[in-house]
Amino acid sequence: MRRGRVGLAAILPFLWLALFFAFPFLLVTKLSLSHTVLAIPPYAPQLDLSQGLAGLKVFLDGLDTTTYARLAQDRLYLDAYLSSLRIAAMAAVLLLLIGYPIAYGISRCPPGLRLALVMAVILPFWTSFLIRIYAWIAILKPAGILNAALAGLGLPPVDILNTETAVLLGLVYAYLPFMVLPLYAVLDRQDESLIEAAQDLGATPLAAFWRVTFPLSLPGAAAGALLCFIPMAGEFVIPDLLGGSETLMLGRVIWTEFFANRDWPAASAVAIVLLATLAVPILLFEREQGKVLS
Amino acid sequence: MSGRPQIGGARQTFAPWDDPAARPLVRFEGVSKGFDGAVAVDDVSLSIYEREFFALLGPSGCGKTTLMRLLAGFETPDAGRILLEGRDLGPEPPHRRPVHMMFQAYALFPHLSVAENIAFGLKRQGVARAEIAARIEEMLALVKLEGLGRRRPDQLSGGQRQRVALARALAPRPRILLLDEPMAALDKKLREETQFELMALQQTLGTTFMIVTHDQDEAMVVADRIAVMREGRIVQVGRPVEIYEAPADRYVAGFVGDVNLFEGRIAACEGPLIRLATDDGALDAEGAGVVGDAAWLAVRPEKVAVHTEPPADGRNRLAGTVLDYGYLGDWTTYLVETRPGRTIRAARANATRTLLRPLGCGDPVWLTFAPSSAVVLTK
Amino acid sequence: MRGWLKALGFAAAVTLAACGPKAPEDSAPQAGGTLRIYNWSDYIDPALLAQFTKETGIKVTYDTFDSNEVLETKVLQGNTGYDLVVPSNHNVPRYITAGAIAPLDKSQLPGLDKLSSATMLHMAPFDPGAKYAVPYMQGTIGIGYNEDAVAKRLPGVKVDSWAVVFDPANLAKLKDCGVYFLDASEDMYAVALNYLGKDPNSKLAADYKAATALLMKARPYVRKFHSSEYIEALANGDICVAVGYSGDVLQARSRAAEAKNKVKIAYAVPKEGSQVWFDVFTIPRDAPNPTAAHRFMAFMLRPEIIAKASNFTEYANANAAATALVDEALRNDPNVYPTRELSDRLFVTTTKDQALLRDVNRQWTKVLTGR
Repeated sequence: MRRGRVGLAAILPFLWLALFFAFPFLLVTKLSLSHTVLAIPPYAPQLDLSQGLAGLKVFLDGLDTTTYARLAQDRLYLDAYLSSLRIAAMAAVLLLLIGYPIAYGISRCPPGLRLALVMAVILPFWTSFLIRIYAWIAILKPAGILNAALAGLGLPPVDILNTETAVLLGLVYAYLPFMVLPLYAVLDRQDESLIEAAQDLGATPLAAFWRVTFPLSLPGAAAGALLCFIPMAGEFVIPDLLGGSETLMLGRVIWTEFFANRDWPAASAVAIVLLATLAVPILLFEREQGKVLS
Repeated sequence: MSGRPQIGGARQTFAPWDDPAARPLVRFEGVSKGFDGAVAVDDVSLSIYEREFFALLGPSGCGKTTLMRLLAGFETPDAGRILLEGRDLGPEPPHRRPVHMMFQAYALFPHLSVAENIAFGLKRQGVARAEIAARIEEMLALVKLEGLGRRRPDQLSGGQRQRVALARALAPRPRILLLDEPMAALDKKLREETQFELMALQQTLGTTFMIVTHDQDEAMVVADRIAVMREGRIVQVGRPVEIYEAPADRYVAGFVGDVNLFEGRIAACEGPLIRLATDDGALDAEGAGVVGDAAWLAVRPEKVAVHTEPPADGRNRLAGTVLDYGYLGDWTTYLVETRPGRTIRAARANATRTLLRPLGCGDPVWLTFAPSSAVVLTK
Repeated sequence: MRGWLKALGFAAAVTLAACGPKAPEDSAPQAGGTLRIYNWSDYIDPALLAQFTKETGIKVTYDTFDSNEVLETKVLQGNTGYDLVVPSNHNVPRYITAGAIAPLDKSQLPGLDKLSSATMLHMAPFDPGAKYAVPYMQGTIGIGYNEDAVAKRLPGVKVDSWAVVFDPANLAKLKDCGVYFLDASEDMYAVALNYLGKDPNSKLAADYKAATALLMKARPYVRKFHSSEYIEALANGDICVAVGYSGDVLQARSRAAEAKNKVKIAYAVPKEGSQVWFDVFTIPRDAPNPTAAHRFMAFMLRPEIIAKASNFTEYANANAAATALVDEALRNDPNVYPTRELSDRLFVTTTKDQALLRDVNRQWTKVLTGR
């Protein structure tokens, strides 16, 4: 009885992974090896299990890697990858620079205020994501709130909507809580007496921060950076709404393949390659998370 | 100490506090500190001398840790001042005070190795690299952790971590080392060993130690002098023997060791002896007081003799029956009921291997104690 | 799950029908159930949906999309649960080939005879025999612009040519006030090819290369490629020129007028000619409630109803009997109801095969991203 329960508990995570990761992953892999046809659904071959083993053979023979070959031939895809990774990396660095002082500030506040500030960080999540991004359009557009404010201060207007700057701004804004919360979790849990010990041993408050607080918060910073980096690299909505046409990101490429070209295999292939290149960061993240939890 | 008989004072050679010419290393002058309206430290004045092993003893919440943190600089006094070698520490932030602390949970830096932990304070002082390396070796040898310099704190046992914390605090050669409940996390046996090692270390280095503890035995073992604290105030300062044998009041008497108290009024003063009229009859003890005042007679259980036959002399004699007893190996403690609702503790050293108990529950006994073994307390 | 939802919807509809006033003129039996429509955004007068429900007891669930691509991708998945979808003419053959839409039951569509013969002629190549689609609205691609802002930057230039948006010399002067292009590759290539004097439905790679070159020269001056943002942007005065759909630009004009923000929006179909398109009602093959879809089509075929629809969308409808009932200002606007002279310059876009579609889209990506 007891054994049985333990067994189920051990299997559950794997069941979860199989159901929500491995199975969809296999589906998408299969799709990426198919080719387009004008039908419902718009790709072939279809697996016909009523034919038994013969049906499986026909299905497997119908799969090929031509779509991947096509990805390799066109530099667009590589450019889109590099551009996505670059933008996500820049946003991650900005998030660290902005998120760290916020998380640190909150962790140094009196406990009562701390909770209120964490809530303030999470609060925007209760509003629709789209509405928040549209709000940025209203702020950044040429005759928008930002330029009105700049004009009020006697400063020249800026035109950053539909540029990469706006995309970075949107990414940093939207992902800030994902950076602040893991950092805060690490900083908040940090033993106050470590700082006192450092100061007691002659470290100035600044030295105590750099020698003790900062190195000990690095797992949180890594967790936050990876937590943001991975979805940011695949982000579609923010670059679509705030970015210009030249903001080339993978989300857009997948969209084009899927919708404009009605090419599900190509969209799937891009997604598979994206997953493969991000598998490394994901694994790193897992490791970092292990460290944070221990 | 004036007005009180000196106990064992003649043999003591290290007693700078008795020397009016001696200059204290640390001096608290009327220091007070409150948190959110609650007083933690209340008008404390105290001197600690060079090379002294000083203990702050009291229950949790008595203000002893706050007093230590005031000295380290983590708290700022609301009133009064703290002097180190005559210099006011008031304006000095913690990192500029030559006072180092060994934290209760050790507060070792988990991301640094043992050697790096020890080097931390030395680097802040700007000590030369070669000297740091030498000092690390010296410290590791001192706390008997040779060869463990590369380990991380999480690879060490609790006792080893405690030694690293000690080495780290001692490495920059503080003028005074503060130890906040240094042995609270150790098991009993290790704690006793460590107490003696700590004393030996202090003797070797000659560094002034100030220890905060709630464990009276620990304070008695390690300290040259003990300050007993209660509700932010210092109730008594003295050598362990003074604290134990001549407690300043009922609180100290009760906090340090077991005690039997007899409430009464002073009936007569005869030289160093006082006769107290109590519900248990007239009892004699040493002390000072005014006839007619309320007072308490305190006598430690081990100073109460247990007789199975009525003793001849009538002084300080009480008859009763054994209500309960506890065999502790070295001692046996008896709970004797002298009248309904009144029990007295008596302890007897088990000087011989008596497997046959001479006394059991319900046995009639007589208790006596010498007037010189008891003390009269007026508060 | 779906069955349960349907039952719930049915119950709601029955309750609604029982409580509401009886439809006065409707003698047909109550169809009941729910009708799920997937249509372009801002493309129907909500009052008409309410009227339909009141008359038939059929509850309407209404979702919207803003590009043919999104619609087709969704419909070709199958099992969308929609009863009525509204693709554009040039996509219809793909739906038919894929077997995604069902033939109509014309016996349930009494108003079909009122449809404009000209429209049906245009539709013939896409839906031979008119078996699958009932035309809803039609419109053109043209230039929407802020009259004052353009007049200031291009004094004396009449906005009647694609040169306004394809000639870099003009674009350079307009760049500061904001130029939007549609993010719709087939539509943009059709008008660009036409402007270059080529067949807008060319199958020659060289023609598309030339069109790409033209678009690449215009690209640096284009603030954004987007298929719906320009409505709001034009109306707010945030941009001054947009290549857009006729009805959308006219909606922007109306919004600006309502806002009284002194922004005057105009629409022009360039003299070189442009694309005309037809959005049509079709029924997905797996529609849960095709009867309700037919009821809705029949409803929309009634001249007084479709006239109200046009008044709202500011697009011309395909119902000849309804033209007289449409607001005068709208029906006399050559941008909405093209004159014969303008009609001659309009063309329809044909369906591309997969290889050409991919190639055109790849070139369009190059236009969008520069890569």
